[in-house]
Amino acid sequence: MEGSLLTLLVFLPLMGAAGCVVMPKEMARVIALLTTLVTFLVSLWLIPPFLAGGDAAQAVNIFGSSYGETLHFVQRIPWITGDSFSIKYFVGIDGLSMPFVVLTTLVSLFACAASWNCHTWKVTKNLKAFFVLFLMLETGMIGTFVSLDFFLFYIFWEVMLLPMYFLIGVWGGPRKEYAAIKFFLFTLAGSVLMLVAMIAMFFYSADAVAGGVPSGYQDGVTITQGTFDMIELATNSAIQENFAAATFMGVLPFASTMFIFMFIGFAVKLPLVPVHTWLPDAHVEAPTPISMILAGVLLKMGGYGFLRLCYPIFPTGGHFWASTLAALGVISILYGALCAMAQTDFKKLVAYSSISHMGYVMLGIAVMTHTGVQGAMYQMIAHGISSPMCFFLVGVIYDRAHHREINRFGGLWLTMPKYGTMATIGFFASLGLPGLCGFIGEIYVLLGTFEARHTFEWAVPAAILAAFGVIFTAGYVLWLIQRVYLGPEKEEYAGYPEASGREMAILVPFAALCVAYGVLPKHLLFDYVNGTLNHIVDTMQSSGAITALAAGS
Amino acid sequence: MFESFWRPTLTDLYWFSPELALVGTLVTLLIAPMIVGRSSRNATWIVVLGTLVTILLSWKVGGDVRSAGLSGLAPPEAAGMLILDNMSVYFKIVLMVFMLGVALLWSIGSAKKEKHAEEFLILLVGSALGMILMAGTLNLLMIIIAIELASLPSYAIVAFNKRNRRSAEASLKYVIFGGISSAIMLYGMSLLYGLYHTLDFARIAYGVVADLQAFAAVDVSSVAQSVDASMPAAQNTVAIGVALACFLAGIFFKIAAVPFHFWCPDVFEGAQIEVTTWLSVSSKSAAIVLLLRLVDTFSSATGAFPGGASLSALTGLAWGLGIVAAVTCTWGNFAAYRQNNVKRLFAYSSIAHAGYMMMAASVFVHPDSPLDYSPIAAVLVYILIYVFMNLGAFGVAAMVVWRSGNENIDAFHGLGRRAPWLAIPMLCCLVSLVGLPPFAGFIGKIWILLSLGASGGGLYWGLVIVAVLNTLVSLFFYLRIVKAMFFVDDGQESFTPPISGLAMVNVCAVVLVLMGTLFIEAPRRKAEFYASNLFRPAILKGGMSHAENAAIDATQGELLRLTEGVARIEGERNRRSDRQAQTP
Repeated sequence: MEGSLLTLLVFLPLMGAAGCVVMPKEMARVIALLTTLVTFLVSLWLIPPFLAGGDAAQAVNIFGSSYGETLHFVQRIPWITGDSFSIKYFVGIDGLSMPFVVLTTLVSLFACAASWNCHTWKVTKNLKAFFVLFLMLETGMIGTFVSLDFFLFYIFWEVMLLPMYFLIGVWGGPRKEYAAIKFFLFTLAGSVLMLVAMIAMFFYSADAVAGGVPSGYQDGVTITQGTFDMIELATNSAIQENFAAATFMGVLPFASTMFIFMFIGFAVKLPLVPVHTWLPDAHVEAPTPISMILAGVLLKMGGYGFLRLCYPIFPTGGHFWASTLAALGVISILYGALCAMAQTDFKKLVAYSSISHMGYVMLGIAVMTHTGVQGAMYQMIAHGISSPMCFFLVGVIYDRAHHREINRFGGLWLTMPKYGTMATIGFFASLGLPGLCGFIGEIYVLLGTFEARHTFEWAVPAAILAAFGVIFTAGYVLWLIQRVYLGPEKEEYAGYPEASGREMAILVPFAALCVAYGVLPKHLLFDYVNGTLNHIVDTMQSSGAITALAAGS
Repeated sequence: MFESFWRPTLTDLYWFSPELALVGTLVTLLIAPMIVGRSSRNATWIVVLGTLVTILLSWKVGGDVRSAGLSGLAPPEAAGMLILDNMSVYFKIVLMVFMLGVALLWSIGSAKKEKHAEEFLILLVGSALGMILMAGTLNLLMIIIAIELASLPSYAIVAFNKRNRRSAEASLKYVIFGGISSAIMLYGMSLLYGLYHTLDFARIAYGVVADLQAFAAVDVSSVAQSVDASMPAAQNTVAIGVALACFLAGIFFKIAAVPFHFWCPDVFEGAQIEVTTWLSVSSKSAAIVLLLRLVDTFSSATGAFPGGASLSALTGLAWGLGIVAAVTCTWGNFAAYRQNNVKRLFAYSSIAHAGYMMMAASVFVHPDSPLDYSPIAAVLVYILIYVFMNLGAFGVAAMVVWRSGNENIDAFHGLGRRAPWLAIPMLCCLVSLVGLPPFAGFIGKIWILLSLGASGGGLYWGLVIVAVLNTLVSLFFYLRIVKAMFFVDDGQESFTPPISGLAMVNVCAVVLVLMGTLFIEAPRRKAEFYASNLFRPAILKGGMSHAENAAIDATQGELLRLTEGVARIEGERNRRSDRQAQTP
């Protein structure tokens, strides 16, 4: 049972999608909501094994003593077997993926609830297909987070593209087709080089283990073939040595080349400046629930990919590119914040704020300190809560006003007091106000960056610049709140109904999570993830020491 | 006097029975109208029956005989005239399955108002016979006969709609291009014959490898310094290069590889859509299989060379094929973007896919190497997947075109609403053609990339990168159709397509999904089996007759002379430097 739980979780939404197809049109949203609810409840079963993670004695049982040693809910089925390769259906979770899976099911549930009023949208054609695609997308997202075989990961990664393309392209705003194709092209452009990396890693690992070497993380298993196993690639010392020493196409250092090949794919998803331009378009044109999914889950796949694939497998690549990546992170923070400040479209502002927030994730990971990576992780989860909430807040007012011009709003708090309160919590969480979820991640990233000052001479300036991002963020969020929610009540909006029960049912849990994650960081996240994250960082640092030694000698 | 004629034994006839069954179908098609009168219905049934019999016989014969050849009038050592091995059996079966699909498509479409059904089907089956022969021969004479047998009916069938000016124009272009390519190919063949005095490609390959090896053995710098002795090898190399380039040009024409692709878009546009469907897969895959066989012969020749020759002697050939493949798929994908006519668009798409397949054909692997990343198996899987992708996509396109009489992309507008059960399979086929999971097109591409990656080296990793970047480029134009189907709706009325056509395209879509998710391994295993145990004539295996040994002696004598020549140059140079040393 334990083994197949993840499989059940991955394919539950797909079954729901099949249900939507066969049932009558009116039932589609009910089935979709039920499916997402059940999926969310099932995903809660993933948490118990991680519960005692904060206890030092228990931590070894839960996270193992090194990266990948202890995985939970593992299922490994041979899928495609040749004489010298074996691709497995291999799923499992550790501290890194568990929070993302639960976040995915949670955001999907709320997004599904947010699409409950789909018949009032501008585009109301074929809503059955909307829910079918929505559930397919959820399968793709969960699958991406739980798969530990690179081949499987790649399939799920690409499976997400098509539903998302249609969700934006059919049910989106005025420029939906442009936004949809841009999203598709950018993401695919990122992932084609990932495919090269996947194939290259397979053959280079095959070279490394040709004579048969013990597995890096499974006891008593000998590896004789090249592998797509993401944990094996990261933990097997023979493979790691070959990756660090080999060259690609005769001239390029293998590790840093492959690092970049994979990095581009994840950077597009994150998104990092300069490959961020799909995001504002996609967000603005996508319907509200899809924006929630995009911001809440899809962006996290970039950061997840860094922590699962790029850094553990190619730590030398991480060291090689550290300064570039940190610079891109800082630029994203500042550029995103400045762009957000310049926006007059409510949704676009939230979209640019996402870019700015994700810049912290990049910076935190690029400095490769324990604190930085923990901060990046926290930032992703916190943003996964606050940004869907913000997008939903925009959606609520858009449903009433049918425009998103920030400057035309005003005094909404007086018109809709409950909604105004929720909006304030949501945007302050996004701002990073202490006591709300956004703060912890940002401060950890900044601390982690300072911590790296002995390794990288650029760490202190990077941290100082990044800290300015906090001020810019405060600038645009406060200004936004002032323009939209404060001030005298406007006649234009006077008759607007207060947030409905359904809307409050989505907003209140989000607000509660914002507060909870602001005050209980240890109990709600760090206990579950730190074990795994620390192992990953230890891997990066130890290989860094090797690199430094090699460079010194 | 009859003793001197070749009289096939019963066993020979049995081996040859699938081809004979096709010939029988042709004859029946000719005779049937005289007995039962003209009727498209009857003619279609004859073809379906004949095809099924061919499939059964191929499967049965293939099960009994693993790897053999018939020499016909040539001496038995040159057994490559007609080859019966796993790969040829596989190709026969796949091609016949595809022909069934095309016949089905034709029967629900043009057949209804076609007065010359028998003639049409005769041309179709005739070209199929040519393609089958093409995929199973290693003899220059047979290669040219097979290519012509495949081409001539194709020229005619393209112009079958003879009142249509575009068809006539397309056919004329096809004939001219085809004629010139054949002429170039024959020129290449005559050079090869002149060089090696045989029509048996196995011997030619052996000789080519021997010459290239000898050329590689000569120290190039010494050749540059002093002129005479090593010149024969150098001249031979130029002649070999010209001969092979001309020879391959004929095959590239059938594949529609750049720069021999110009006929493809025009012919695809001018022909009836069923004919386009047929040509898109059959002529390309037959030529690709032939190319694979030639490449495999070269690789085996290096293995059979006394003292062992390395594959590096063939580096130039590998680079040539690889570059043509890379240019072909890049060109096809970029050119497709500008097309508005769906048939032209698919023409360029098929050029691009031929490029992917040719990439795998540029991989020379040692004959004894394991089959894990065998490029041949990769291409065989790809052809199978390509059959379903194209049958599905062309099936939908045909039904849309028949409905609206419009071949441009705007005929697809609003198809998602007008005929959802056409639009959804079309979506699956298009995404599969792009090569994205979870559809089979991705798997086909993965096997090709793995076979390239397994070879490693700058050329093949370069091809991997070109291939994946092409995926991105191809997305642009395939998505134009997707966009037309689902995002644009100009209020054309809905329609119900014929049920058999719906069944066919939906089956194709389901097959693509299944082969891309649950059943990835089984087709691969099958293809590995069919790519194994290829027919290799005796000369490629080491067990050679007296005449062959004599030939090798001659080659080795040549090599010896070369070595002596080199030694002489070396001696000359040494003496010269000695003299210089003595005169201070």
